[in-house]
Amino acid sequence: MSNSTSTTNESDGSRIERRTFLKGSAAAALSAGIGGAGVSQVVQGSTESEAGSDGWVASGTCWDCHQLCGQRVRMKNGTAVELKGVDGHPRGSPGEGREGRLCSKAHAQIEKAYDPHRIKEPYVRKDGELQKASWEEAFQVAADKLATFKDEHGPEKLLMAEGYDTDDMWKHLIMDIYGSPNKVGHKTICHGPWSYTWDWMGGRGRPAPDHKNSEYIISWGRNLLEAFNGQWEPMGILDAIEENDATLVTIDPRYTKTAQHSDEWLPIEPRTDGALALAMANVIIEEGLYDEDFVENYTYGFNELRQQVSDKTPEWAAEITDIDATKIRKVARGFAEAAPNCYATVWTGITNQSNGQKNAQNIHVLNGLVGNLDRPGGLRYWESPVDLADPYEVQGVEFPSNQDGRSQPLSDYEEYPFHHVRGLAHAQFPEAVENGDVAGAFMYWFSPLKNSNTQDWIEALEEMDLLIAIDAYWNGMTRRADVVFPESSQLEKPMLGAGGSGSYSTQGWVTGSKAAIEPQWDTKPGFDILKGLAEAMGYGEYVPWDSKEEKINDALSGMGLTLDELDEKNYVIQGEYGYESWKEDGFDTATGKFEFVLDNVEDYAAAAEQAGISTAPEYVPPEKFGQMPDEEYPLDFTDAFVEQISRGGDQTLDHSRQLLAERWGLDHKDYRGNYLLLNPDDAEPRGIEDGDMVTVESPEGSISLMAHVTEGIKPGYTATTLGWGKGSITPNEEGGNSMMLHNADQIEPISGQVARHIKVEVTKGGDA
Amino acid sequence: MGEQWAFYFDANKCIGCHACTVACKNQNDLDPESATWRRVVQSGQGEFPDYEEISVSISCMHCEDPPCETVCPTGAIEKRDSDGIVTVNRDKCIGCHYCAWSCPYGAPKFDGDNKMQKCHMCLGKGAGEGYGSPAKKHEDDGGEKPACVDTCVGGALKAGPMDELTKEATEDAVNRATKRKGNVIIETGGPTVTFESESD
Ligand code: SF4
Ligand code: SF4
Ligand code: SF4
Ligand code: SF4
Repeated sequence: MSNSTSTTNESDGSRIERRTFLKGSAAAALSAGIGGAGVSQVVQGSTESEAGSDGWVASGTCWDCHQLCGQRVRMKNGTAVELKGVDGHPRGSPGEGREGRLCSKAHAQIEKAYDPHRIKEPYVRKDGELQKASWEEAFQVAADKLATFKDEHGPEKLLMAEGYDTDDMWKHLIMDIYGSPNKVGHKTICHGPWSYTWDWMGGRGRPAPDHKNSEYIISWGRNLLEAFNGQWEPMGILDAIEENDATLVTIDPRYTKTAQHSDEWLPIEPRTDGALALAMANVIIEEGLYDEDFVENYTYGFNELRQQVSDKTPEWAAEITDIDATKIRKVARGFAEAAPNCYATVWTGITNQSNGQKNAQNIHVLNGLVGNLDRPGGLRYWESPVDLADPYEVQGVEFPSNQDGRSQPLSDYEEYPFHHVRGLAHAQFPEAVENGDVAGAFMYWFSPLKNSNTQDWIEALEEMDLLIAIDAYWNGMTRRADVVFPESSQLEKPMLGAGGSGSYSTQGWVTGSKAAIEPQWDTKPGFDILKGLAEAMGYGEYVPWDSKEEKINDALSGMGLTLDELDEKNYVIQGEYGYESWKEDGFDTATGKFEFVLDNVEDYAAAAEQAGISTAPEYVPPEKFGQMPDEEYPLDFTDAFVEQISRGGDQTLDHSRQLLAERWGLDHKDYRGNYLLLNPDDAEPRGIEDGDMVTVESPEGSISLMAHVTEGIKPGYTATTLGWGKGSITPNEEGGNSMMLHNADQIEPISGQVARHIKVEVTKGGDA
Repeated sequence: MGEQWAFYFDANKCIGCHACTVACKNQNDLDPESATWRRVVQSGQGEFPDYEEISVSISCMHCEDPPCETVCPTGAIEKRDSDGIVTVNRDKCIGCHYCAWSCPYGAPKFDGDNKMQKCHMCLGKGAGEGYGSPAKKHEDDGGEKPACVDTCVGGALKAGPMDELTKEATEDAVNRATKRKGNVIIETGGPTVTFESESD
């Protein structure tokens, strides 16, 4: 038995056996009167199961990766003991008449609900120490500190950062009412280069795949069968392969689960994706395989594009990308011939690159050329034709806009091209703190230490005058906060969500559930925390509901639905809408067309000019903005996603860590952190064997983790998963935090996204 | 003997997500260290870039002639007559680990009490039903599926009477299953998988 997987209760230091623990928490859940909202309903559910109807009595809506897959919950003596999927669910199944399933992260919600590592009650910093406090005290202290902060600094110096909220009150409270205009979201740590670019080109944000109708799928820098947005994605793709005989192509320097099921795996030279895309465009244009009608009538900039790619032959790209010219031709032709029932979709594999914006643009050019936009099996412009009401409107609540006229602290940051596009970027906040432009932060499910230049952020957090955190776990951020509000996990609170993308290609949907179990320990759902804080701040009138259930019922009233009814069904399909929305409405761009060339987008043109790149598709080599391997640091290193761990939120769960170890066949080792994937060509000369501890070093710092030596990664390239080590929620901070190897200059200049390819050297041996 | 129950696993559909492992763990309330009644094994073949990998989800095979049963000194292991499921009477288990050494698939696991535990196909009650955890499927009522089958994201896992499963399987897979004498039919599209038995 590995001692690193034993469950230790952090705050009282005792080892808790899971079975005993579960029994204990069941009793606690039954007798507890805490939690406020929704207790009566929850207790009723528990009583029912007490009365003999143990079994599948509750429903849930999974929030582990925030994609709302439907759940059924099996209760036993008031404790949730098992979960399963909901048939026909828009996010958790491939559609009508199909079974609903859950991924391993969803099943792990049981363990999360009763996870002894969670923050169990509110904390307030007194005499420099975080100490347990009552909810009333914590609310009052936070409200007082926020008021003092406003007097001393002004609200514009408070940063608002959010991971994935479960109630939108924070935006109104901190931004509209309190008046802070400073928000950092996901665009500079996850998908910025892609989101901005595809929005600029097609005018509707990020279009998402219509999997089940597709015949040719290019998963480009994306691991669709493993890092998915809900179970409908892998299941829809497997359906497309089986039913439409769809071709699946994976472009990735790493052999992924998606590569495993692909007809072609193209292990591309990292960060040269833009060259490959241009070569494919060259083939599609030269061979006349593009959608002439679409290109002629609905696009802008084709002639310039044609010129740009006229000499970008597959042979040209083969040299850059290390992919055979024949293969490039084959994939380009296959993709175009399947059009419009085909798509090329990207995510962090592309956005994490120093030249990610241009690479995203070049790839999206391909979708425009073959005219797959908002067509069956292509990239759908998803809508949400359900009549949810605005609960604030129902109650006649109107918010002031006190952040208007207060600007983000931009003035001194003009050296960054992205300042034309957005306010500050994640990696630059520490600099803003140092300059006195940011002095405090309100953080809701946000863990900055795992998202960019950790060492700078640690200093910045120490420096700030005020830190208020809503979270479920202790990590490098919550440990430094002045007030910590512990939020309940997903099974403990009511949920509501509506589509968007999903397995119903032309229909809208809504999904939701009541709380399956009571809030564990002295935690509260996000709504209750924000309501309590709003009241303490003197803004109670803006939150007229007693419970989240009431607020959800107001939202559902627009559909003539109640949460009770929704909870029973778990989802409702409503509203029809068609494809090819652009035929009537055009694209939401300056020309009303899909734009290959971005010279009409003022912000972009200004940023591009400052960065020294074109507004047209072109190949920007990675060395233009990024760090390249050299003699001292000869390997290209980045981080990636795995199915078993959602970003940074499951690292305390023994089973999840066990599964990750199992995934790399290293479960027999006494180590439960993240793993470094390394090709034998790189491992052997360094004397590294599978399962050895290694040290990864960059010019900024070093981390230790365990090596997994595999042929499934390109020589010269090495990768790990994020959210481990220093500052993370991982017990004993096991594993390595890849962001310890970063500095603030590692950014993609147009969007401000953290550029996650850096140069490193790996040596045998490490701590642990 | 009644109908022999078996698993069916299609590697072409498995996406290696481990949902089956966690569903099994929840259904049977397993401790993390023994959460591997059903585990997912990766198997790779070839050299970069001609590399291929498959994921195989395995549990106890409920063997035709179980070596674990043969070596067990106390007779705690039994191949059930009614459905061919191999069960463990945990009251009789003395924790000698012989079964673990003899099992070619690493199926037997040991908990804090050092008692053998393993997949019981979530069927029925009685010895091997998972020390007190509720039955998923009653043999006579055709009820729910085993937890792992119920959640399998790729639709790669099935369970049922061997005769029914062989109808859906390819001839190759059926032949392999017959040769191996484990009651599991594995459709592989890629490299051969070798199982290592557990050594503590
Ligand atoms: S994909 Fe998995 S983790 Fe994400 S919402 Fe669905 S079930 Fe939950
Ligand atoms: S797989 Fe192993 S534990 Fe199961 S019946 Fe066969 S020998 Fe026994
Ligand atoms: S049948 Fe049940 S006990 Fe066996 S592996 Fe599947 S879930 Fe686990
Ligand atoms: S749940 Fe199904 S697809 Fe996922 S690992 Fe298990 S067998 Fe494979």
